[in-house]
Amino acid sequence: MDFFFGLLQIIGVHTILGLSAYVVLQTGQVTLAQAGFFSIGAYVSAMLTVLAGWHIVPALLVAATAAGIVAGIVGFPALRIKGLMLVVATIAFGEFIRLFWFNFDYQIEKKGIVVGPQGGEGFKQIRFFPENGWSTLDVAIFIWVIVALIMLALWWTDRSRAGAVLRAVGEDELAAQSVGINLTAVKVGAFAAGGFIAGIGGAIYAHYTTHIEHLNFGVMLATFAIAYPILGGLRNVFGTLVAVIFIQGFLVEGLRFMGDWRNLLFGALIVLAMNVQPRGLIDERSVRLVRGLFTRN
Amino acid sequence: MDWLDFFQSITDGLLFGSIYALIGIGFTLIFGVMHKINLAYGAASIAGAYVSIAVAAYVPLPALVTFLIAAIASGAIALLIYLANFRFIPLASPLATLMATVGMLILIDEVVVHATDGMPQPYPALFADIYIEWGDFGLRGDLIFIFVLSLIAMVVLMFMLYRTRLGIATRAVAQQPVAAQLAGISLDRTNALTFVITGLLGGLAGAMIGASVGVLSPLLVVPITVKGLIVCVIGGLGSIPGAIVAGLAVGAFENFFLAFRGVTERDMYVMLLLFVFLVFRPGGIFSRSVARD
Repeated sequence: MDFFFGLLQIIGVHTILGLSAYVVLQTGQVTLAQAGFFSIGAYVSAMLTVLAGWHIVPALLVAATAAGIVAGIVGFPALRIKGLMLVVATIAFGEFIRLFWFNFDYQIEKKGIVVGPQGGEGFKQIRFFPENGWSTLDVAIFIWVIVALIMLALWWTDRSRAGAVLRAVGEDELAAQSVGINLTAVKVGAFAAGGFIAGIGGAIYAHYTTHIEHLNFGVMLATFAIAYPILGGLRNVFGTLVAVIFIQGFLVEGLRFMGDWRNLLFGALIVLAMNVQPRGLIDERSVRLVRGLFTRN
Repeated sequence: MDWLDFFQSITDGLLFGSIYALIGIGFTLIFGVMHKINLAYGAASIAGAYVSIAVAAYVPLPALVTFLIAAIASGAIALLIYLANFRFIPLASPLATLMATVGMLILIDEVVVHATDGMPQPYPALFADIYIEWGDFGLRGDLIFIFVLSLIAMVVLMFMLYRTRLGIATRAVAQQPVAAQLAGISLDRTNALTFVITGLLGGLAGAMIGASVGVLSPLLVVPITVKGLIVCVIGGLGSIPGAIVAGLAVGAFENFFLAFRGVTERDMYVMLLLFVFLVFRPGGIFSRSVARD
C-alpha cells in the first residue's frame, strides 16, 4: 500500500509544480525557471527544518515566500523581453540557481553529525517526517490538502476579475494595456505567484525524498513543469491535474513493465498529442464532446 | 595567472567556440524563417554524430567522410522534426510547437540511449597528433581543424543565402511570408529546406563536438541546447553574423573562467553574461539601437 501512497505524493508534488507554471503561462509567458524556484523552496525549507529545527508548516511558508520574492525580481527584467528571448532568459536563470546550489556549502554540527547542503554532494538527512513519526499516508494526506488548497485558490481566481485580467494579458498585451491594465503589475505578480507555488512544491519535495542535490533541479524538471499545463490545456486547473496523472501515473508508473521502451513512447506521445490537440487535452472540443455524452439531444 | 595562461585559455576557447557558433546559427536561422524555436535541434546534431559512428563501425571510413555522414544524417533527422513538429501544428499555437519539440528532444535522446545502452562512445579525432608550439604557447591541431572546418561551413552558408535562388527564397520568407507566397515561393518547401540546412550544420557541429571532446554521450544534448540558445540570443535573434561572433565570444569567455574559477562555476558566468546582454542590449551584439520589444 505504501507504494500507492508514494505515488500519490509524487503526483501531488508534480501537480503543484505544474500549477506554478500554469499561472505564468496564463499571461502568455513561457517560463523555464520553475525548477529554479522549486529548488529554492527545497533548499530553504530543508535548511529551516534541519539546521534551525523549525516545524514544517512555517518553514514551508517562509521558503515559498523566498522563492516568490526571487521570482518577482526575475519578473522585472522579463518584462523587457518575450517569446524566445524569455524562454532562453528563464532557462539561464533556472540553471544559474541550480549552479548556485552546486557551489553552495554551509554545514554545521547537530547532535554529533554534520548536516547541511554540501555542494555537489547535495543535502542529506532531511528527516523531519521520520523523526516526527509521520507515516507515508500522513504525508500523502498533508500533500493533497495543500494541493487542494492551491487548486481551489487558482480555480477561484480563474472565475474572478483577476483571472480575466491574467487571460487578457495572455491573449493580447496591447489590447489589455489599452483598457487600462497595468502590464508590469500583472506580469510580475504572475511570476511571483508562480514562484511562490513552485516554492511550496519544492519544500514538500525536499522533505519526502530526504535527500536533494542540484541535479534534481535541471532543465528537464523545468520542462516538465510547463509540459503539464500545456498538455492538459490552459482552460482550467483540472487540465494540469489530468496531465500529471496521465504522465506520472500512467506513462511513468503504469508502463513500467515496458522497461526502456517506456521513455521512447513518452517522447513520441507528446509529439502525437500536440499534433492532435494543439490546445491541450482539455480544450473546447473535448469538453463539448464529454458534455454531449451526458446530455440528451 | 600570468598573461601566457590568459592568452592560452582565450585562444583554446575561441577555437572551440566555433562549434557554439554553428549551433547558434541553426537556432537563429529557424527563428528567422519561422519565428519558432526548435528545441530538438541540439538532440538532432548529436544524433547525427551517433549515426556516423554507427556507420563507421561497419565500414572503415576516413574521418572526413564520417563528418559528412554525420551532417547528412542530421539533415534527415531535421526534416523529420519539421514534419512531426511544425508541418501540421497550426501557426496560432506556438506553445504546442514548443512542447512538441521538447517531446522530440526526449524521443531522439532516448533512441540514442536505447541504441548505445547509455554508454559514451569514442569518436575519432582528426590531427590530434599535431601540436604547434611557440615557446610555452601552443595550439592543438584538432581544434584548429575544427575552427577551419566551421569557417568553411559558414562561408558556404553565407554564399548559399545570398547568391542562390534557394537562399533568396529563404530570406524572402523570413522577411515577409505573405509577399513571398504571392511571388510564387512555396512556404512549405522553403521551411523544410531551411530545416535540412540547419540539420546539415548541426550534424557537422555534433561530429566536431565528438572529435574535440573525444567521446559522444547523450548527456551532451541539454548543455549544447542551452549554450546554442544563449549564443543565439547574445548574437541577436535571426542575425547570422551575430551568432558567429557570439559563439566565438561565449567559447572564449567560458574557457577563460574555466581556467580562472574552475569547472563548477564556469557556466554561472556564462549565464551572467547573458543577463548583461538581456538588460543592456536585448537586440544582440549587432543591434542598431536599444529597442524595446
